[in-house]
Amino acid sequence: MQPVIQTTNLNFSFSNGVKTLHDVNLLVPKGSIYGFLGPNGAGKTTTLRLLLGLLKNQQGKLEIFGKDFSFHRIEILKRLGSLIEQPSLYLHLTARENLEIYRLIYRTKKSRIDEVLKIVGLENTGKKKAKQFSLGMKQRLSIAIALLHQPELLILDEPTNGLDPNGIIETRELIKKLNKEHGTTVIVSSHILNEVERMASHVGIIHKGKMLFQGTLGELQQMKTRQTSLEIETNNNEAAAQLLQSFTIKSLNGKLVLPFENKEQVAVINKMLVQNDFEVYALHPQQNDLEQLFLDITSSNS
Amino acid sequence: MNLIISIKAELIKTKRSASFWLSVIGAAVIPVIFFLAYTIKPEHNYSSGWNKHLLQGWQVFNAFLLPMFVILICSLIPQIEYKNNTWKQVFASPQSISGIFFSKYLTILMMILFLFLLFNIFMILSAIVPNFFFSKFSFLSSSIDWSEMLRLNFKTFVSLLAIISIQYWLSLRFRNFIVPIGIGLALLVTALIIYQFRWEHVYKVPYALPVLTMEVIRDTGRPILENHEWNSAGYFILFTVLAYYDMRYRKERG
Repeated sequence: MQPVIQTTNLNFSFSNGVKTLHDVNLLVPKGSIYGFLGPNGAGKTTTLRLLLGLLKNQQGKLEIFGKDFSFHRIEILKRLGSLIEQPSLYLHLTARENLEIYRLIYRTKKSRIDEVLKIVGLENTGKKKAKQFSLGMKQRLSIAIALLHQPELLILDEPTNGLDPNGIIETRELIKKLNKEHGTTVIVSSHILNEVERMASHVGIIHKGKMLFQGTLGELQQMKTRQTSLEIETNNNEAAAQLLQSFTIKSLNGKLVLPFENKEQVAVINKMLVQNDFEVYALHPQQNDLEQLFLDITSSNS
Repeated sequence: MNLIISIKAELIKTKRSASFWLSVIGAAVIPVIFFLAYTIKPEHNYSSGWNKHLLQGWQVFNAFLLPMFVILICSLIPQIEYKNNTWKQVFASPQSISGIFFSKYLTILMMILFLFLLFNIFMILSAIVPNFFFSKFSFLSSSIDWSEMLRLNFKTFVSLLAIISIQYWLSLRFRNFIVPIGIGLALLVTALIIYQFRWEHVYKVPYALPVLTMEVIRDTGRPILENHEWNSAGYFILFTVLAYYDMRYRKERG
């Protein structure tokens, strides 16, 4: 499948010398909803800004629709819609006037304004200025602008940030609907694992400017269960494996490894082993970078 | 034409912004003073005729008020994008950098020309209206010297070009609009002081060029453009090119 976005060894440092991206290889397949996951400050926005040419690419290759961005800027921008960080709207103008500005630039039919207003549910705002809108309405109007020219690719940076639960669900459903009905490829960044899991088909995880994982949602879930495990070492591992056969046990380098579920499970296993006169040398949940990252991501869930 | 579309989009952005009223008020101040003078003290011995009336108007206008309003207008248009955090959306839309740069620039120039147009209309009204009440004025019975009026407009506009280009650049660079306006007004006042001192290089000081035009504009027998007015046009080209390349090669946009 041809990728819509492909970056090769993207590096970026801000003028203060802080390196924000290290060899980022992003691969967004056509027709996917790509969840770009990472805690705040991981480099998500920097990457998306590079994709839009808002930051000058310093090193590495950046291709969108199979074309080099630096040589086909306008051509590429014509085919994508974007929403970067907080809504950027002309607050002294109405929803319609905001759309009219971009309708002129993207040269779409006048009827598209009514269509996109209907899609995001803002058709009855009339003469109300954007500054009187709630944050959710502003966000929806920004999405309407991004949709105006029926782009093949949508680049959305934290589109649900600051929305109430209802707004989050609506936005998520809208993204899914666009993807399903129009085949729009969507790259959507988020710092909430849960949210990405509910809509993405593909996931990329970035942390401190490095890509830690990239693949389908299924692969991510596999990885998650594989990566979170409980290591046990006793004086008689074989017998212990017999005792604990109700768990799915793997043997590894003389240790027993089983999927880690929760702390209570660890206590139960320990009790079982001790009560059956095993000497328990080690019993610890395996922590690794990805695991820690997931904890970071899920604990900062707000 | 891409540029025309971009300008149309720019004009929508100025809707309900301060720019329209700023132009109206800027253009009205001096004509209102003339109107009040003519109606409240009609017996005063005013220099008569259209040419004198218009010349005096432009001279007073161009000394300080007009450059000041130009500084304000130049800041207003880029400020719309800064205030609303919309630069990023502008740069992420399929417009060339030159399209973005020149559509805003031309919008500013159009607004300044609109200010000029309003000033001419208000100056004519400030003479005609009092004439209805006081027959001692001869504005109604004589015709306006349109070519002289055009000359006044043209020379004044050229003398402002240097300031326009510098102010546009400053306004693109600084998010906080106080910075370009502050710098502009400070330089304008500095230039007026330099002019007072009659420094021999004053004709090279961009912010002093309007006041130099004001000084010589009454003499009709001179070349169409004075040396300092050519300087103004030169500065305009120089700073426009610099501002454009600054935007073109900036590492971070929006």
